Amino acid sequence: LCDDLKMQVPFPFSLLCLQVIKCKAAVLWEANKPFSIEEVEVAPPKEHEVRIKIMATGICRSDDHVVTGALVMPFPVILGHEAAGVVESVGQGVTSVKPGDKVIPLFVPQCGKCQSCLNAKGNLCSKTDLGTGAGLMADGTTRFTCKGKAVHHFLGTSTFTEYTVVHESGVAKIDSAAPLEKVCLIGCGFSTGYGAALQTAKVEPGSTCAIFGLGGVGLSVVIGCKAAGASRIIAVDINKDKFAKAKELGATDCINPKDFKKPIHEVLIEMTGQGVDYSFEVIGHTDTMTAALASCQLNYGVSVIVGVPPAAQNITFDPMLLFTGRSWKGSVFGGWKSKDSVPKLVADYMKKKFVLDPLITHTLPWTKINEGFDLLRTGK
Amino acid sequence: VIRCRAAVAWAPGKPLSVEEVEVAHPKAGEVRIKIVATGICSTDDHVRQGSFPNAEFPVIPGHEGAGIVESVGEGVTSMKPGDKVIPLCIPHCGECSYCLNPEANFCQKSHMCEPQNLLPDKTSRFTCKGKLIHHFLWISTFAEYTVVPEYAVAKIDAAAPLDKVCLFGCAFSTGYGAAINTAKVKPGSTCAIFGLGGVGLSVVIGCKAAGASRIIAVDINKDKFAKAKELGATECINPRDFNKPIQEVLTEMTGQAVDYSFEVIGKAETMIAALASCNMNTGICVMVGELDSGSEISIDPMLLLTGRTWKGTVLGGFKARESIPKLVSSYLEKKFNPEPLITHTLPFAKVNEGFELLRAGK
Repeated sequence: LCDDLKMQVPFPFSLLCLQVIKCKAAVLWEANKPFSIEEVEVAPPKEHEVRIKIMATGICRSDDHVVTGALVMPFPVILGHEAAGVVESVGQGVTSVKPGDKVIPLFVPQCGKCQSCLNAKGNLCSKTDLGTGAGLMADGTTRFTCKGKAVHHFLGTSTFTEYTVVHESGVAKIDSAAPLEKVCLIGCGFSTGYGAALQTAKVEPGSTCAIFGLGGVGLSVVIGCKAAGASRIIAVDINKDKFAKAKELGATDCINPKDFKKPIHEVLIEMTGQGVDYSFEVIGHTDTMTAALASCQLNYGVSVIVGVPPAAQNITFDPMLLFTGRSWKGSVFGGWKSKDSVPKLVADYMKKKFVLDPLITHTLPWTKINEGFDLLRTGK
Repeated sequence: VIRCRAAVAWAPGKPLSVEEVEVAHPKAGEVRIKIVATGICSTDDHVRQGSFPNAEFPVIPGHEGAGIVESVGEGVTSMKPGDKVIPLCIPHCGECSYCLNPEANFCQKSHMCEPQNLLPDKTSRFTCKGKLIHHFLWISTFAEYTVVPEYAVAKIDAAAPLDKVCLFGCAFSTGYGAAINTAKVKPGSTCAIFGLGGVGLSVVIGCKAAGASRIIAVDINKDKFAKAKELGATECINPRDFNKPIQEVLTEMTGQAVDYSFEVIGKAETMIAALASCNMNTGICVMVGELDSGSEISIDPMLLLTGRTWKGTVLGGFKARESIPKLVSSYLEKKFNPEPLITHTLPFAKVNEGFELLRAGK
């Protein structure tokens, strides 16, 4: 035990701080294998780092992309990036959170100093691991070991574990009354979709929207379009089991491309007369990205790419689609500046500005993580 | 009927043929215009080559002109013989949902919605050697006289010098508008412009008027640089001088890539380079140049996912009939000067020579 204990912490945590924690984690040793529930060692947080006890974590398609190799990350790795937890201990210099605080880890951090953080519209902090995918902490090392091997981090978060270590710029303190098993969704799925509608597209009241893909993120786009006052929200999915929830959350029409002989963008243009004002692709397939673009109004329509495409796959399209005046944009994490926005989104949830329950399909003990992924993959 | 000269494209890929044509009297709602000056735009060359979508041969191309009203058809109220006018390559009917939408400028009577090879009553006013000759975007400015519906003509200031303001019919408005309306360039920002023809130089003028702090002009033809600098470019770079892709060069020059990029050429590779040259999270790229019809571009969607915006624009986003007269007035008030865009002035009979100069990058 050393001098740093002077800075510490309410009693229940003092025994653990600055010590290595042994706990369970779901480790992915290689691609296309199930997760392996292992005992791992989680090192104490270094300077500007925070160790968090994860209380609830969601499963996002992007985690699955790493399993299938569509998103290339170094192995072995602890995945998971959509979670909520409680701070267990903090490293030197951490001021924005303390042990006992409820927090959400941020897979896109917000350092506050880089050009993106300083730009009013920017949200892709330079400290993000999205580009390089190195899977390491800022000092180039990892805090996880398992069976003597170093285990990589994922997007600066790694939430498929009982304890994780993140950088202070990648964690947001939230309302102490927030129910962690619900608000974990604000760590990714909800914010990404809701922000795509409100921040990226900036949906206007009375407008028409089309949303391709009704998973957790797509449904969050529906919620966002509704909150923005859209007059028509057309939900598009090849799985009609998704329609009921979409309608509950605000979709005015639900259509299944498989029910039509003609291309879906033609169907949407006919339904709306000219194409929608805003379209969203929330799947990650290049052909639906083009269909979504073609579905929006040719001279002033806006199409947003939300879904992450598999690595190294290109979209091929007719540039005339853009030439006539359409806008095509993308966003990560709904365009939100993460550390500023996540606490506010949690506060909005607490004030009942939106619901999260319909987005939660199943609640499982986390040792059943593989079953969770099976449910994701079978569209449930 | 007026007999006059016109440059006719009889078949795709052939040079234009200066012929004597008959130009019929304007019908109800139409205006016959004596074209005093016309510019040559790459788009006209696409027509001549046969790569402009839905154009029909034989045709009189030309869409960037200025002239004087010679006669009007029944019911025309907004102009009279003697008025100076600019025919509009995008009409402005004022009634369709685009015209009524403040954000839109793509009137439903325009070619992309419904071909404009014939006038609204589905007939042509041009004949030559007994054959029907098609219009181009209705206006066909490579003719000494043309007939156009009233809502595809803008009346301009009587003091305007027609041999200069023809540029407002296309090039200047397209480029200047791309910067001001479509990109909405902000003061102090950084811009990169790929392609320094008439439209590209107009983008430079627009970025300067908007107060950009750095305007980086990009072209493989260094003879274009002097004018770009004269009009406001702060730096000029030639991709052929570098071993690495131009988007990497631009990212290094600016640290974070540019705030706004513009592709003003019409080639797939430069469209992708321009997109990749703007900041990955907050950048805006405007597609101004038009690719050959039927071509496709292939991009990595991650370019967009990180936050970029890619948009297209036609006629710089201007609602033609309202905006072009205002642009002409601003020019007369010396708010900007597009005159350097004029490289050569040739007599009409030398139209093919004009195209050769265009193709040779002069």
